[in-house]
Amino acid sequence: MVEAASFRGDFPILQRRIHGQPLAYLDSAATTQKPRAVIEALTVFYEQHNANVHRGVYTLSEEASALYESARAKVARHLGADSPRSIVFTRGTTEALNLVAAGWAGSRLRPGDEIVATEVEHHSNLIPWQMAARHTGASLRLARLGADQTLDVGHLLSLIGPRTRLVAVSLTSNVLGTVTPLGEIVARAHAVGARVVVDAAQAAAHLRFDVRALDCDFLAVSGHKLYGPTGIGALYGKPDCLEEVEPVQGGGGMIEWVEAQTARWGPLPARLEAGTPSVADAHALGAALDYLRPRMEEALRHEQRLTAYALERLLAVPGLTLFGPKKPVLRAGVFAFNLPGVHPHDAAELLDGQGVALRAGHHCCQPLMRRLGVTATLRASLAIYSSTEDVDRLVAGLSTVRAALAS
Amino acid sequence: MSQDLYRATVLEHSRHPQNTGRVAHPTHQARAANPLCGDELEVTLRLTGQHVEQVRVAVRGCVISQASASLMSVIVQGHRADEARRWAGQWRSALEGEADLPPDLESLRPLLELRNHRSRTGCALLAWVALERALGQT
Repeated sequence: MVEAASFRGDFPILQRRIHGQPLAYLDSAATTQKPRAVIEALTVFYEQHNANVHRGVYTLSEEASALYESARAKVARHLGADSPRSIVFTRGTTEALNLVAAGWAGSRLRPGDEIVATEVEHHSNLIPWQMAARHTGASLRLARLGADQTLDVGHLLSLIGPRTRLVAVSLTSNVLGTVTPLGEIVARAHAVGARVVVDAAQAAAHLRFDVRALDCDFLAVSGHKLYGPTGIGALYGKPDCLEEVEPVQGGGGMIEWVEAQTARWGPLPARLEAGTPSVADAHALGAALDYLRPRMEEALRHEQRLTAYALERLLAVPGLTLFGPKKPVLRAGVFAFNLPGVHPHDAAELLDGQGVALRAGHHCCQPLMRRLGVTATLRASLAIYSSTEDVDRLVAGLSTVRAALAS
Repeated sequence: MSQDLYRATVLEHSRHPQNTGRVAHPTHQARAANPLCGDELEVTLRLTGQHVEQVRVAVRGCVISQASASLMSVIVQGHRADEARRWAGQWRSALEGEADLPPDLESLRPLLELRNHRSRTGCALLAWVALERALGQT
């Protein structure tokens, strides 16, 4: 048995009851719950330090600026970046990937150039490349899902050729739970002079990685999947790669000098952060990383054990179809599955009645759903605060769902 | 914010700045602007070989940026370009709290107070940024 980690008490929302039942929150792949330290950081910021950043000479503005920049340094440290200047704050992974698509690909790709992505990707790591391809005349090539329901890495490698300018791939799949082996992909891309963008939204809180070791050129994360608030995320870029990104938003804070008809951009990363940033959310993301970092080893061990436990329990449910690999070593704590004859939305509705929160739908992965031969699945996902009891309640709930709905 | 910053030396240099205006027939020149406040200045230089023979700074800025520009011109004038570049880097490191002030830059010490006042460090760096840019043209 896997004990519910001591972390559980740090998350106030887990005290809630849903339809009279304790909450079993199993949708952490969509967004994680927030520890008290993060919620308090938001309150403390607004009660003690609120001011706009980078423009004021007065004490409050200096405090707000220092907290904002300190959060940037914490994100850099968490990702293993050499310098905080490699971190651009965004609203999340989606905005970060769109920034690369519009600001880098949009201004640099030409007809005949190729973008390589995969059909496993979340829409946020697919649609921006569709848009960039349409805008520039480049073409988009997608690596396929293998017969083992993991990304066919061999196929992906075969797509990288002399015309490839950009390779976009996720580190952890938000449906299959698989972790992409990036080493060979990055090496092949760099060998042909292509840049590599990594969608690390799903990996950032559940996998130990380091942008220096990955050697990727860009990497995107979301704060809200990292125990931080919504509305804040980050784009990491190697310094020379970020220099190649054209601003896609103009406004305050990103300039050095403005004339009536022209402007000279300011330095990175401010150049790519037009307008008032989400200062309080950035600060609270810093608090989330302060919370997570000393607990990371223990959290990952806990999640690994719980992943193995959940896999065993789910595979024992009669008739359940689990997508993706069946061995715990090959996956993160994300499980997409279906019950025969039961629509995922109906199942999720009935499970909610028992206090079990899990997702039903295409998980923003319609091409992958099509490849798996379904329109939607159920998905349970784990985090630092998940417990065996959560998994047990899911499994018990599934048998009542089956009894109520299965044909 | 402490009153110390506005001590006599700083005020003296801002009230009576040295080496203001433009060098006639400059060999090197560059502008720098502080995006936080809109202050701007232009550094013009005349180099003979690697020697900074003459420095002039045209400033439209606050007391700090004026004093910093004046002090910079006095420090750099008559010295080699590579020394000037090194001093610019050392002054940046000192202001960012990464290093102590080297003896050559002792006259800048009153401005080191800005170490704890991040929104104003740009004012104390502005002339040096323009100097680095101007010398970058070599």
